[in-house]
Amino acid sequence: MLLSLIILYVITLIYISIVERFRNYASIIAVQGWILLGIALLRLHSLDWLELSFIITETLIFKAVIVPAILMRVIKNTHINRVATTGSSQFNSLMLSIAALTVSALLTYCVADQTINMVFFGVALYALLTGLILIVLRSRIFTHMVGFLVIENGVFLFSMAIGVEMPILINAAILLDILISVLMLGMFMTRVDKHIHTDDSDSLTHVKD
Amino acid sequence: MIYIFFIIWLTIGASAFLARSRRTIHMLCATYLTAHAMFAGLLIGGKYLSTSGSFFSFDEAGTLFYLLLVVVAIFIFIHSEAYLKRDDIGNYRRYFALLMLLTTAITGVYFANNIAVTWILLETTTLCGAGILYYRRSEAAIEATWKYLFVCSTGIAIAYLGILLLCAAASNSSLNYEDLQMLIINGNPLYLKAAFLLVLTGYSCKMEIFPLYTIGVDANFAAPAPASALLSTGLVNAGFLAIFRVYKLFAHTPLMAWVQNVMLIIGIVSLVVGALFLRRTNNYKRFLSYSTVENMGIVAIGLGIGGVGVWAAVFHVICHSFIKSSLFLHIAIVRQVYDGYRINRIGDYININKVGAIGLIVGMVAILAFPPSPLFISELMIMSEALASGAWWIIAIMVVLLCIVIFTVCHRFIKLCYQPNQDELHLSNIDRKLSYSAITLLLAALVLGLWQPEILTNIIDKIVTF
Repeated sequence: MLLSLIILYVITLIYISIVERFRNYASIIAVQGWILLGIALLRLHSLDWLELSFIITETLIFKAVIVPAILMRVIKNTHINRVATTGSSQFNSLMLSIAALTVSALLTYCVADQTINMVFFGVALYALLTGLILIVLRSRIFTHMVGFLVIENGVFLFSMAIGVEMPILINAAILLDILISVLMLGMFMTRVDKHIHTDDSDSLTHVKD
Repeated sequence: MIYIFFIIWLTIGASAFLARSRRTIHMLCATYLTAHAMFAGLLIGGKYLSTSGSFFSFDEAGTLFYLLLVVVAIFIFIHSEAYLKRDDIGNYRRYFALLMLLTTAITGVYFANNIAVTWILLETTTLCGAGILYYRRSEAAIEATWKYLFVCSTGIAIAYLGILLLCAAASNSSLNYEDLQMLIINGNPLYLKAAFLLVLTGYSCKMEIFPLYTIGVDANFAAPAPASALLSTGLVNAGFLAIFRVYKLFAHTPLMAWVQNVMLIIGIVSLVVGALFLRRTNNYKRFLSYSTVENMGIVAIGLGIGGVGVWAAVFHVICHSFIKSSLFLHIAIVRQVYDGYRINRIGDYININKVGAIGLIVGMVAILAFPPSPLFISELMIMSEALASGAWWIIAIMVVLLCIVIFTVCHRFIKLCYQPNQDELHLSNIDRKLSYSAITLLLAALVLGLWQPEILTNIIDKIVTF
């Protein structure tokens, strides 16, 4: 069951690299939230009930509901629903994503030992690369934000691989989620779009030498 | 015990959000700084346990940098009051509240003895720093704040991945630095290397070194100048200490030589970037920020060379804090006079504010490491250690780049003092008392250049003993 969820998570990562509509990005982030909830339930069941319920509640409310809802609201407010046409094509994105998956698998194979769950490590690495690809290759700020959320989900997944012994690490990851995501999403929604009147990162060029 | 102080500091900081008059804000700031002075007094007097709670301890490194922070913060608060006195009360109270919260978060980073707590508090500095950056509410401020939040958050998430790997390599539930130092000796070298790279990359946004140095430059550009003094010293020192503690973890592992090579590469690239971008920018605040990148590059080279270089690196960071905070405070006064920072337009400062101009020229001498600058000692020590280890190529690179830095910095500061001014002047804003107070910090640095007290050298000796 755990493996099935992780495979599903990998599929969402592949899919997110080829979609072009913002609504799909938000849906995939929501799906990832639900998958992470399932993984947390299966992986961390041995934790103290108080810690487990905190992690589960956070994952459910925050990752699966609030963040996707905020993304949807951003889409509604900005009336922009597609990535910039100047970005790379879907085919190139797919190739790049598969290359990232291959690199992650190879690296995982190279570092394989008993101390870390290699499946979690490999998928987290793939999530990190996918997030970075979204940030580097896409020009819209919205996609950058989604890229950051993908990285954060990957880090959260990896923290679950180690966090069975060290719940403080998972709690720290949750803190990262809540503090930064809310602030970034909130700031994007209320300030950046309102004042700069653009969703294109190419326009963010006032601050330079 | 430290938790009581944290509660006091946070309460005062949060209260400032509710203040209705400037007088109340000033009183809160005075109380806040008094509380810090009391805590510093307790630390100096030795009437304090070496550990507080399970997450904080008062080692030499934390204490030294904390004392430095308190001194610099007093000047920053005083200059901020003068700098922002014409702004509306809403912005004014928000600024001081965030400044207090940022100072508290930085204090926490200095004393944290747990790698996860360091990480959490560094993330907190991002939140407080972002609020300060947003002070002007202009498009540039929004853009800088957005970039700061985005890059710092991504960097911190990457650092967290490194911490996870480090903990996995240690195969233990303790995240205490002392425990980790023992446990990673037999850790998987590949994990440890990856962990170090990830943590270094993530924290580089705080220490203002390659690769994420740009965000520090943008932050200093957008923040009010006195706050930039805090970002360029207190926060940069927090980033340095966070990296230094991880660097120390590797001291007894077979990977130390590799770690030092990485620091050397990062240091050289930072020095290259700092030296070249100093020439390119047309804004005095960005100019000083690139100078921070250059100096932190030298610090990283010191850590990379090892031996006496590590001692020199710590000494360099301490003295840089005095000099850079003074320069930023001087630039804050310059902004009051010209209402801008444009290098190619403003000038004739020597005839407008002689005290301030002399302060800037003395600061120029100090930041360029000309004797009696304390940076001369640290740079000389780093170069002599490089020579002793046969790495003459490092000296060659450093000399070439430092020549570029010397030419550029002299050219820019002399332009500010002597070139004909083309911008409108606001002479009523000149407050020479502030120039004198900023010079005090420079004098403190110059005293350290001429005489290093035994207590300071002993503390640095202990800091660099692994």
